[in-house]
Order: sequence, then structure tokens, then C-alpha cells
Amino acid sequence: MSEQATVFIIDDDAEVRDSLKMLIESVGLVTETYDSAQAFLKVFDPSRPGCLILDVRMRGMSGLSLQQYLNKEPVHPPIIIITGHGDVQMAVRAVKAGASEFLEKPFNEQQLLDSIHIALEQDAEQRGKASKLAEIQHRVDRLTEREKEVMELIVNGMLNKNIAHELNISQSTVEAHRSRVMEKMEARTLSDLMRMIISLRP
Amino acid sequence: MFLCIQLFCILLFSLSLSGLQFAFAEEPFIKIGVLSHRGDSFTSDAWDPTAYYLTNQLPDYEFEIVPLDFDEVDTAVSNDEIDFILVNPGIYVNLEYNYRVSRLTTMNNLRGDDASYKIFGGVIFTRRQRYDIQTLDDLRGKSFMAVDATSLGGFQMAWRELNKKGINPYRDFSRLEFGGIHDVVVQAVVSGEVDAGTVRTDILERMATTHDLDLNDIRIINAQYHSEFPFRHSTRLYPEWPFSKLQQTSDDLAKKVALALFQMPADHPAARAGNYAGWDIPLDYQQVHELFQELRLPPYDVIGIFTLQDAIRKYWYWAVLALFALLTLSATTSAVIRRNKRLKRVQRRLERHYERILDSVGDGIYGVDLEGNCTFINQAMEHLTGWTKEDLIGKRQHEILHHTHADGTVHPASECPVYATSIDHVARYIDDDVFWKKNGSSISVEYSCTPIKGTGNNVIGSVVVFRDTTERKQIEEKHREHQRQLAHVARLSTLGEMASGIAHELNQPLTVINNYSRACVRMLESNQPMMEQCSDVMEKISAQAERAGAVIKQIRHFVQKDIPDKKAVRVSDMLDVVSELTSMEITRKHINLDIVMDSTVDFVLAQDTQIEQVILNLVRNAIEAMDEIPAEQRNLVIRTTRQQDNMLEICVSDSGSGMAPSLLEQVFDPFVTTKQQGMGLGLSISQGIIEAHHDRIRVTENTQGGMSFSFKLPIVDDIHHDDTESGNLYQRPQEIA
Repeated sequence: MSEQATVFIIDDDAEVRDSLKMLIESVGLVTETYDSAQAFLKVFDPSRPGCLILDVRMRGMSGLSLQQYLNKEPVHPPIIIITGHGDVQMAVRAVKAGASEFLEKPFNEQQLLDSIHIALEQDAEQRGKASKLAEIQHRVDRLTEREKEVMELIVNGMLNKNIAHELNISQSTVEAHRSRVMEKMEARTLSDLMRMIISLRP
Repeated sequence: MFLCIQLFCILLFSLSLSGLQFAFAEEPFIKIGVLSHRGDSFTSDAWDPTAYYLTNQLPDYEFEIVPLDFDEVDTAVSNDEIDFILVNPGIYVNLEYNYRVSRLTTMNNLRGDDASYKIFGGVIFTRRQRYDIQTLDDLRGKSFMAVDATSLGGFQMAWRELNKKGINPYRDFSRLEFGGIHDVVVQAVVSGEVDAGTVRTDILERMATTHDLDLNDIRIINAQYHSEFPFRHSTRLYPEWPFSKLQQTSDDLAKKVALALFQMPADHPAARAGNYAGWDIPLDYQQVHELFQELRLPPYDVIGIFTLQDAIRKYWYWAVLALFALLTLSATTSAVIRRNKRLKRVQRRLERHYERILDSVGDGIYGVDLEGNCTFINQAMEHLTGWTKEDLIGKRQHEILHHTHADGTVHPASECPVYATSIDHVARYIDDDVFWKKNGSSISVEYSCTPIKGTGNNVIGSVVVFRDTTERKQIEEKHREHQRQLAHVARLSTLGEMASGIAHELNQPLTVINNYSRACVRMLESNQPMMEQCSDVMEKISAQAERAGAVIKQIRHFVQKDIPDKKAVRVSDMLDVVSELTSMEITRKHINLDIVMDSTVDFVLAQDTQIEQVILNLVRNAIEAMDEIPAEQRNLVIRTTRQQDNMLEICVSDSGSGMAPSLLEQVFDPFVTTKQQGMGLGLSISQGIIEAHHDRIRVTENTQGGMSFSFKLPIVDDIHHDDTESGNLYQRPQEIA
């Protein structure tokens, strides 16, 4: 975790924006405020951790439009939607589209803060998971072609002798490759290896 | 009349004669004219002795007898050929009448041997055997014989008696004959040749004496009796022959002659020769005059008592003409009268017709002359005002009908529109006035007064037609009240439709307050409370609470039921309310709202809540009209523009897809809507509101697409700013009931 998570507040009402900023900062979180979706998108950096607080109805680009736009990115901060009185249809659409939380004004401050924390955890988890897979891939990349072949067969549950027969090599050679794969993949057991490889699969 | 003229002529004649009297000096020869009815020689034999007698008595004169035939008498008298005249009574009255001869004595006629009578008459008789003839009336239809048509005793006396009974001998007898002499008549009756006859008195007795007649053979009709007259007679008795002087004969001579005659003894030889018995004082010949008058004989054949029958006989052509003229006249008169009656009837009918027309009209109508007096009224007027014809006609209408304004102030006659029309001849229409009823109450009226022209094209007054608008005004007031209620319901409805937007408006400040207050609490709970920051936050919280309060006040203002009167209101305030209430929707729909205010106008005269409702309605319609077009093309413009007539136009324009022409026509009708929700009352109510502000909402199509709705309000320029609140939307003072 090189960078601290930020709460991005996007609302065209300055008073709402400022009050949210004050409330969220009062619990020690970092905030950035934007008066429109467009203003936010100008400085959007997918790598920055955090979460978004969006008003559904805004001049210019609406909250839902921004949500749809961000969904196209591989990784983006979780979105908390806030709205005025009873816009249920819009809430359903937002949640279906992957919104982390939907809050109706005027909301309970604790509810908002809880939602922000959950969103930040989601973001962190999302971001942690992504880096682990990158590490496994990195280890895989260090294997030779023969070692990749052997590893594939191991993960498929084949025995050494079958592998030797399959690859038309000696059983002792298979065992040598196997120990190097385990070493390079930093896997202590066979199940460790198998979990790593499966996590890579889509 | 004729009589008068004749008398006048005679008078003239006599006067001229009297003037000539001196010319006739006494002459030695005095001529005595004698009617010679039995021949001249006989007359001379009979009367010459009397002339000798007079000559002897009056030696200064020599008297001679001039025998005169019937025909000659008139000429001799008129030519003054004689001085005295002796004729029968019939001729005498003619002469007396025509030539003013005057009788001196009446002859004593000798009848029989020694009896003399100065009177005589007529006798009417028939044969004794004619029992069917008893009275004069029985003679009708019988044959009759008399002596002569001109014979006094032998016909005319009998005629008079018959005439008195209504018998006309010339007409009512089967035959009338004249025998010429008395004896022939007697013979004819006795022989039965005629049914009856008449002769002079004493004829029958004389013939009986000479045995020419047996008195038993005859019977006297209408027998009369006279104590001094022994002869049978049927008629009145008349005087015998008079001895007369002509007019020019001197009275002196006449006196001498008369005296000489009076002195003649009855048995004087001269008297015997003339078959008379001396002379007596002259009798009254009036009876003879009357006889001639009654029988219309000369001299009374022309004049006298003129019966209608005579008139008809004599003047039948005049009578016919007169009758014809009379008939024509009466026919014409009756035609004229009939025509006149018909005209009167037609006129009455026309008048009734006019009256019926006037009375069948529901409006009150009355006429006013140039003096301002009422000339006529119709039934509706009586009905509407309670005043009757008697109350109004001929009276000054202004003092009765509109002496006072509705507000109780005096309405001077000099300001009366009815009189003004009579004076300047210009028709007027007054749409709001009051007339006072007989019972003291008043009615609201609208009326027209129009000058009336007379026959000469000059104005003779004016006619007023009026209508009772009391009920209409009440209905209008009810209608306005109804409109107000409807507008109120519409506002509530609008508010309901806008509930989510309004909730948003409220949620914003509430959310902000919530956030700030929680943040503040956290700051205070933290170990190092930031007091300054907290104080700032509290300020912000307060501002937000006020914002929420303002929204609620606006809503309360918008839905209030009791609408205050029109007053000067700030245009921007009204637009602020509208933009506030619609901002949520405008934001959500990404509409570009542009408010362009005319900076020269601050205030207008209006009922603000209602105008806000109208603008809100137009704005919401505009927003919906742009639903179908892309968001970036949605432009909503609210523009205020000062107009020339000191009015401010407020125009709401959209850039939507416009409106179907068919809809354009009925867009202000109630229950016409393109929306799935909504009653379609918005524009209808808005139009009602603007009409109450004396204008109408106009719809035009924009050249770049979309519609514009506009209306005008009167500008209030001259205003004390103290009277109005500042422009701050959130600090509007409210009339809280």
C-alpha cells in the first residue's frame, strides 16, 4: 500500500459537497471534491485507491453516466450513490451496475461512514488481489518452457512417471524440473502451486 | 223665403205707386169696373142704375160702369183704367193681394124674394139613394161634378173642405167634371150622371122654388148649419162681392162713394136692378185668402205653406239632384268615416303592435325627450324597476332612476349619460351603473342610450335600453370564486406533481445540516476540538436551516387559499419562486434555463401567487415539451420586456418540438392535455387568471422551433420602495393567515 486511499466527492451543490467533505475528514479520511463528473474525469487516475461519492442528479453528466463510464475501466474505485427523495428505479439501476452502496438523503452519517469504509476495504482488497496475481504471473514468467509444460501437467494431477512418458524424458529429469518449478514458484506444497495457477485462470 | 221676397217686391211697388199718387187728380168721370160674367149688356143693365145713383149722390163726379171679362180685370186694374171695381170675392182677394185694391163695402146679395145675405157658401150633394155616400170621405173614388175650376162657390169652397179631409179632387175622384153652370151640375147629380156634385148655396132652393128640382131627391154631404143663413150648405161661409177702390183712387173720393153706397136703401131701384139689397160695411175676406192659401190657388199658387209634397212636385229635379248630392255626400262621408275608422284601427293596431314588441322585449326600454322627461316605458322596465307608467311618464327620469351612484354618492344630472346623448346626439353605452327601484333598492344595469330622430331628421330625444346585470354580476362573482378555488386546487395538484422536486429542495439543506452537525459533533468529541471551525460550521448549519424554511414558506405561500388583492409586486421575486420550484426538474433534465429580465421594470400590478402559478405552469409545460429532444438542445427562456402601453410582457419560450395546429386552437380549453398524467386544467386555469388581470395568454410558434407563451401585466413605475420587501427570495414577508 504505497498510497493512501482518497474519498472523491462529486456533487454540484457546493453546500452538500462542503458538508460531506467536513464530515468525512472528521473521521480522518482524505477527500477530494469535484463539482461535476467531467471535472473528476479530467484528473481521474485508475491507480489511485479510494472510493467515489456521487449525486445521481447533477447538471451535465449524471452520476449514472459516470458510473457507466468507469465500469469500462479494469479497476476503479467503488461508487457510493446518494440521491434525494425516493428515486427507487434509479437506485436499482445503480446497484445493478455495480454500485457499492445507495444512500437516500438525508442519510444517517454513520451509515455513510460505514459505507465509505466498506468501499475502501473493497477497493483495497480489489487492489491487493490484483497485485498477488501479478506476482504469480511474474514467477510463471521466470519458468522455462519445459518447466511450464511440466508444471501444467503437475497441476493437471499427473504422476512423475506418466509425465516422463508423456514428455518422453526420464523420470529423474521430471523430478529435477518439478523441484525447480516448486522453487521458482515459491510453492511449499503441491496444493499451493495448484491454488496459484487456478487463480490465474480466468 | 219666397214669400219674403215677394212681400218685399210688393212693398217696393206700393211705395213707388204712393209717390205717384199726386199725378192722379180727380176727374169728372169715375169708372167702375164690374165683372161681366153674364155678358156686357146684362152687366150694364144691372149696374148702370147704381152708377146713376152715385152720380146723383155725388154731383161733382160722373160715374160709369165698365164691364170687364174675367181676362180683362187684371189688365184694367194694373193699367189704372178704372177707379173702383166690383168683383166676386175670389177675384177680389187676388186684386187685393196683387194690386192693393181695398174693399169699401160688401154687397147684400138678394136671395129669393126679399131676403138678402152678405155671405154665401157651397153645397155638396148626392142623390138621396146613394146611401154609400154619407161623408166627404165616402166621395173617394166617386165621379164628381162642379161648376167651374175657378168658381168660388161652385167648386173651390167644396174643394177646401175636401182638401181638409185629405181628398184631392183632381186625384182622388174616379172622374172630375165641370158643368159650366149650376143648373147643369144639379141635373147631372139628380140624373145619376155623376155620383156627387157641388154648387153655390141657394141654387138648390131656387131650383126647388121653380120646380126644377125636388129637394127630396138629393142629400147634402157634410151639412153645416148657421143661425142667420137658411140655405143648405156644406162649406164654411164666405163674404159676398165687395165694392173696392183701386190703390191710386183717393181716399176722399172712396170715403164719399162708400158713404153714398151705405146710404142706399135696400129696396132702391138701382139695388133691385142689380139684384141686391144695398150695401153693408165691408166684411173680413181673410177666409177667402185662407181658402186660396190652402188650395194653393192664385195668388197663393207659388208661395204660401209649402208642403214637402209640393216641394217635391215643383222642384223634383232639384230634389233629385239634392238627394243625389246628399247620397253622394253621405256615401263619401261614410266612406271617409269608414276609412278614418280603419286608419284609426290600423294606427291603434300599429301602436299596439309597437307596444307588444316593446313589451315582449326582456330588456327595459324607455324614451326621454329633450327636457329629460320620460316619454314612454315598456313592461320589462316596469317589471325590472317597479316604477309604473304613471310614476315615470312626463317626469324627469334622472331624479327617479339614477340620482345616486352605487357607492352612495350623488349622481348629478349634469353627468347623466342619457341627458348627454340628448344634448350631443351621440349614442352611448354604459356597462356598469345602477338604477334605483321604486322600493328603494337598486339594480346593477348596463345600458345604451341612442338619440331618436323625429320626422324632420332633428333629434327629439333619446331611447334607453337597459339590462339588469345584478344576477350576472353575482354569477360572475361566483365564477371568479370558483376560478379561485379551482386555481387553488390546481396549485395543490401542481405541488403534488412536483413533490419529488420539492423534497429534493428540502433534502439539500437537511442533508447539509446533518452532515455539518455530525462533523461538528465529531470535532467536539475529538481530543483537540477546533472551536473556530465548529463556530463556522454552526453558521453554515443556520444558513441551511433558513434555506429549508424559505422553501417551506414558499410552498405555503403557493398553496394559500385566501388570495390577497392585486398589488405592486417585484417581477424578480415571482421568477425566483418559479425557478426555485422547478430547479430540480430543470437540473435533472439538463435544461439550459435563461432568465432575461428587462432592467427598467421592477414592479408590476398583479396578484403574485396567481402569476407565479401561471409562470410555473408555463415553465413546467415548456420543460415537458422538450422531453423528446436531445438534452443539449433544451433551452428554456423566460424573458420580460417593457411594452409601449406601459405593460410588461412576460414570455416563456421553449425549444421543443412545437405543437400540432389542431391542439393550438384548444390549448386553453379545460381537459385538453397531451400528458398521460394531469387533468389538462393548467392552461385553462392560467388563462382564467390572466383574464382576471385583463389580458389573455398568447401562443406563438418560435422561428427556431418550439413555442412561446406570453402575457402582459401593467407596470408600476411610481412606487415607494419602503412598501415592498427587498429582492431577497428567502426573506419575503408572508401574509400568514
